[in-house]
Amino acid sequence: MERVLRDFIFALRNAGIRVSVSESLDAAHTLDLVGYEDRDTLKISLAAALAKTPHEKDIFKECFDRFFSFTDYSENVSESDIDFEAESDDLLAPLTTLLISGDQADIMTSLIQAVSKIQLSNMQFFTQKNPYSRRILSTMGIEGLDRDIRRLDETGMPGAMQQAEALRDARGRLFDYIRGYVNRYYDLFTHETRATMIERQLKDMKLSAVEERDFLHMLIIVKKMVKRLNDIHSRRRKSFRRGQLDFKKTMRKNITYQGPLFNIVWKKQKIDRPSLVVICDVSRSVRMIVRFFLLFLYSLNEVIGKIRSFIFCNNLIDVSHIFDDYPVERAVEILRTGRGLDIGLSRTNYGEAFINFHDQHMRNVDKKTTVIILGDGRNNYFEPETALLRKIQEKSKRLIWLNPESVPFWGSGDSEMKRYGPLCDVVKECNTLRHLERIIDDIL
Amino acid sequence: MVRSNDNITSIENIQQAFRGVDYICSKQIATTLYLAFRLNKPILVEGPAGVGKTDLAKKTASFLNLPLIRLQCYEGLDESKSLYEWKYGKQLLYTQILKDKLNDIVREKNNLAESLEAIHQYDDIFFSPRFLEPRPLLSALQQRKGSVLLIDEIDKSDDEFEAFLLEILSDFQISIPEIGTIAAKSTPYVFLTSNNTRELSDALKRRCLHLFIPFPDAQLERDIINIRVPDLGDSLRFQLVSFIQQIRKLDIKKLPSISETIDWARVLLLLHADCLNMEIVRSTLNVFLKFEDDIAVVNDRLYELTQQATKEGHA
Repeated sequence: MERVLRDFIFALRNAGIRVSVSESLDAAHTLDLVGYEDRDTLKISLAAALAKTPHEKDIFKECFDRFFSFTDYSENVSESDIDFEAESDDLLAPLTTLLISGDQADIMTSLIQAVSKIQLSNMQFFTQKNPYSRRILSTMGIEGLDRDIRRLDETGMPGAMQQAEALRDARGRLFDYIRGYVNRYYDLFTHETRATMIERQLKDMKLSAVEERDFLHMLIIVKKMVKRLNDIHSRRRKSFRRGQLDFKKTMRKNITYQGPLFNIVWKKQKIDRPSLVVICDVSRSVRMIVRFFLLFLYSLNEVIGKIRSFIFCNNLIDVSHIFDDYPVERAVEILRTGRGLDIGLSRTNYGEAFINFHDQHMRNVDKKTTVIILGDGRNNYFEPETALLRKIQEKSKRLIWLNPESVPFWGSGDSEMKRYGPLCDVVKECNTLRHLERIIDDIL
Repeated sequence: MVRSNDNITSIENIQQAFRGVDYICSKQIATTLYLAFRLNKPILVEGPAGVGKTDLAKKTASFLNLPLIRLQCYEGLDESKSLYEWKYGKQLLYTQILKDKLNDIVREKNNLAESLEAIHQYDDIFFSPRFLEPRPLLSALQQRKGSVLLIDEIDKSDDEFEAFLLEILSDFQISIPEIGTIAAKSTPYVFLTSNNTRELSDALKRRCLHLFIPFPDAQLERDIINIRVPDLGDSLRFQLVSFIQQIRKLDIKKLPSISETIDWARVLLLLHADCLNMEIVRSTLNVFLKFEDDIAVVNDRLYELTQQATKEGHA
């Protein structure tokens, strides 16, 4: 395959488009058909073979424009013709000789060798652009060139001075070119990875440590995550219990054939769309993390049809309508501060919350419902009401408890996790986005 | 495998030929078609509803003069409805008719094992192509002169069906357990359309060229109206397209598509309108707006929209 295409595909992959080997082969065939003559045709053709979603098309467009704007070095040095007496040749540094000869192909080769030698691909931050340009220059032998220029200056001869000036010009142009090269390299091959790097870090960061300014960032990541999970799980699917004959159905189906069993029906199960009840602790002990729980709850609320949300502290209230009525920041703020809601925010009382839930909202739970409790189980030594939790567990399909504290702290002090835990189907520690993602994947 | 590629020599050629069957092909569409024809690849067409995805396949069929075989996808679509089915009735009927013959064969045998053995020699005749009911996919492969296969709204089908399509899309062959592998007599041109109600699998996308048809720009839309509703006056066409283009920028539930623009143009033609005014727009809004809320939104801004449209129409 052609080098240009290979590099381009590499740049695309870097920008987040997944290009498989067979697709690169398609792209190569396309190239054979349409050639490089017409830029538009080339762009459309490669887009058809390589970018397969509207989102990818956008990325592709940007990448294409950036990639094929690479100019040749030749445009920069076309006017370089430096007169030199042959006798001084043997004393000159290699880079000086290169610039004097003005052979663009050789200069490019030397540049590319330098680039691969210092491993420009390791560059990750924009602050590294200058150091890397420097290193390219020094690998190409800029010291030798500088020494030559200095020596010519020192001779004090008019001719030599002129030569030094010409060399200085050539050096400046080379410098500019390399800086431009590094810039474009950064844009094409590094820029996008930085975005994914931030995302990766945020995903693994403890939710309580995420700062206010990253809130929007988190929102985007959470949305993306929920959307993806929903894409995978939102459709009702049938799973087949392999090899089990559904005798009743088979008989019914074959009545028309008067006995012979032509159509055999196997047993199958329908997997229902998830139905969720989420109960979230918003007290002070989980204050740092509750914002993200709510954020997540909000996103879930947007994509899952059957979901009821409750928050509690002293008592428990139904807040499903808040998510429907307000935009995300406002909804999260309202729920966090409890403003305008009938909720007391002083001391968490899990027992009271379970009583409230059991008395008023139990009808939301049936044998298809998954109940999720988000909280640290710190009950301020109130009555834990474990019997009610057991009732909830018995009536629901699954009861999941997500605790933001790490496991060793469970059961210490006023934490009732040691008593609540065994009553739940699943108990998990959950304090990074990745935890959340994995758990939600399980639920759906 | 032979394909009649005679009229597909260049991209411009395709554009021209499609104009001949009343379809305006943007360069993007034409280029993708050209590549698909040349590389023998299916095309996955995506885009908002009503931009002519299905029509593209239909017109391709009429321009290549090939039969169009259409498979409409829906949840629960399976092999027996898309690929082939055994004709149970016929099989039963034949066993009844041939009862005597079967008896003859069995009569001479002494015991059960021998009888079974004797019948075994003939059982293949009941599972031969004669008893096969071809469904769209199989019949597309059986066309001698080639065909255009349209797999419509693939996103509505189940994942399993998608996986099962892969064999057809990459190798143009299918496997029937009782008979064996059936290869295409001549490669069909395959179009898949999707409204993106769910993500398609990577495996499927990898096998296709991808074409995204967006809403057309004003110029293209005018051309389309011109070719589909040729009797509409020039100035009205300008105004109409400008109005629709403005509406697409509004925040409404369902944006009007090209097919709806065409419908509206036809309605205006029927009403003998020669320019847009508020009255006529208000009474025909429901032609291209399909939600009560959307109509309310547009109604509120009717004055400025109409003004803007008539202004641009004159310019």
